[in-house]
Amino acid sequence: MAIEYFEPTSVAEAAALAARFGASASFIAGGTDLVIQMRRGLRHPAQLIDLQRIAGLDAIAIAGGQIRIGGLTRHRAIERHPYFRASLHALVESAEVIGGFQVRNVGTVGGNLCNASPAADLSPILLVLDATVHLAGTGGERTLPLADFLQGPGRTGRAPDELLTAVSCAVPPPASATAFIKQGRRAAMEISVVGVAALVTLAADGRCLDARIAVGAAAPQALRMPAVESVLRGAALSEAALAEAGRIAAAACAPLSDVRASAAYRRHLVRVLVPRALRRCVQRVTGVTP
Amino acid sequence: MNKQPMSLLINGETCAAEVEPGRSLLDLLREDFGLTGTKVNCLEAECGVCTVLVDGMAVNSCSTLALQCRGKSVTTIEGLSRDGHLHPLQAAFIEHGAVQCGYCIPGMIMNAKALLDEEPDPDEATIRAALAGTLCRCTGYQKIVDAVAAAARQMRAPAHQAKMAAGAGGA
Ligand SMILES: Cc1cc2nc3c(=O)[nH]c(=O)nc-3n(C[C@H](O)[C@H](O)[C@H](O)COP(=O)(O)OP(=O)(O)OC[C@H]3O[C@@H](n4cnc5c(N)ncnc54)[C@H](O)[C@@H]3O)c2cc1C
Ligand code: FES
Ligand code: FES
Repeated sequence: MAIEYFEPTSVAEAAALAARFGASASFIAGGTDLVIQMRRGLRHPAQLIDLQRIAGLDAIAIAGGQIRIGGLTRHRAIERHPYFRASLHALVESAEVIGGFQVRNVGTVGGNLCNASPAADLSPILLVLDATVHLAGTGGERTLPLADFLQGPGRTGRAPDELLTAVSCAVPPPASATAFIKQGRRAAMEISVVGVAALVTLAADGRCLDARIAVGAAAPQALRMPAVESVLRGAALSEAALAEAGRIAAAACAPLSDVRASAAYRRHLVRVLVPRALRRCVQRVTGVTP
Repeated sequence: MNKQPMSLLINGETCAAEVEPGRSLLDLLREDFGLTGTKVNCLEAECGVCTVLVDGMAVNSCSTLALQCRGKSVTTIEGLSRDGHLHPLQAAFIEHGAVQCGYCIPGMIMNAKALLDEEPDPDEATIRAALAGTLCRCTGYQKIVDAVAAAARQMRAPAHQAKMAAGAGGA
């Protein structure tokens, strides 16, 4: 079937095209998910709306205590950003494990979130950062917490005519650090079997002021772990406390068995990786490696 | 079919084409322009044998639509040699015996070129990380990594730099 191809130069024009064609149209950014899905016969868009000619959607801005990442920002731009490299390790650790160079050079934040794979590597850290998704459609602009935006495999809170224009979050508080640990079947070019993102904020006395954990690929969508977080808040982060956090997380996740791993192995990974990610955060705040 | 006219630069030359919107850049390069140095394998963006540079960045041409490259500059393995002289990467791959069956090599070299354009003095870990998106089923990678490191040294050398400045050297 013949596909029509559009190259809008503004958000309004792109949204109007998407509204005109409805469900038969698809936006395309880097195409690293979509083109493969089309080749596999999983998707058959009749219209492709190429977003790359819209200026300004690939900017990263850090100002006024807020971080804003444009929807068309490439993974490579995140990986190399000096602020993220210095202060938001988990975001770099998430971006730099997405495929190889060739995928990260063109794959975008918007594509990663809108494709809504349970294993999407940016979801856990952005959930940990309480990120907000910015959407723009023919009816105007709105925002949605990322936790509400992600609704299950391939499902999001985005209306068909809406573009993801940006994702934003607050700069982490002082005495905080983040970490992301991904387990695949091999070292590179591999979809996560499980991914764990954490943020730890320490109080002056070394206790945990705040801990936030999110796990990817261990449930139909990436999940925050409130049960783990409430146990850690105010606690001393001893090895016993970290191990307990792993056990609670393993009980709280809902992994599937698939071609990559069994549910039992995923649960095991959650139990092991949650303490590891928390420990890495503590090391990064204190500068001490035990 | 619903073909759209487009033009793009391929290895420095302006090329015009009529393409169906679902068509990949890989297909366009091989079928319309006969540039069969860019190889076909998984068609899933997994193996990297189809790697070309688009505006200087390594991409998998199998997962890139031709129309996404409208007005852009595409470099393929055919675009690396100049006036019959191999690019230092090509020469180093031969010299180090980094080529066995050869199928992955065009993609490997394009990926390495993107690395060296950005990072002229990479350490071994950086080279390995950069090449992770291109698979080789023959060589075990060590000779490939050695060749890239050797090419990097050569490209940093004053003689090569002077040739580049004079506009005669490899891309
Ligand atoms: C070999 C390979 C390895 C990969 N490895 C990983 C990995 O390790 N981890 C990982 O998380 N992902 C991985 N991916 C998946 C993919 O590369 C990423 O999810 C990427 O971020 C998708 O971005 P894109 O711009 O290419 O999306 P596209 O394919 O262009 O789009 C994906 C979907 O999102 C929609 N969309 C895109 N942008 C917007 C927007 N701004 N607004 C609204 N809708 C939009 C499109 O309509 C489409 O439905 C891999 C892919 C490949 C091919
Ligand atoms: S053929 Fe393109 S990555 Fe394998
Ligand atoms: S030389 Fe044969 S695949 Fe690399």
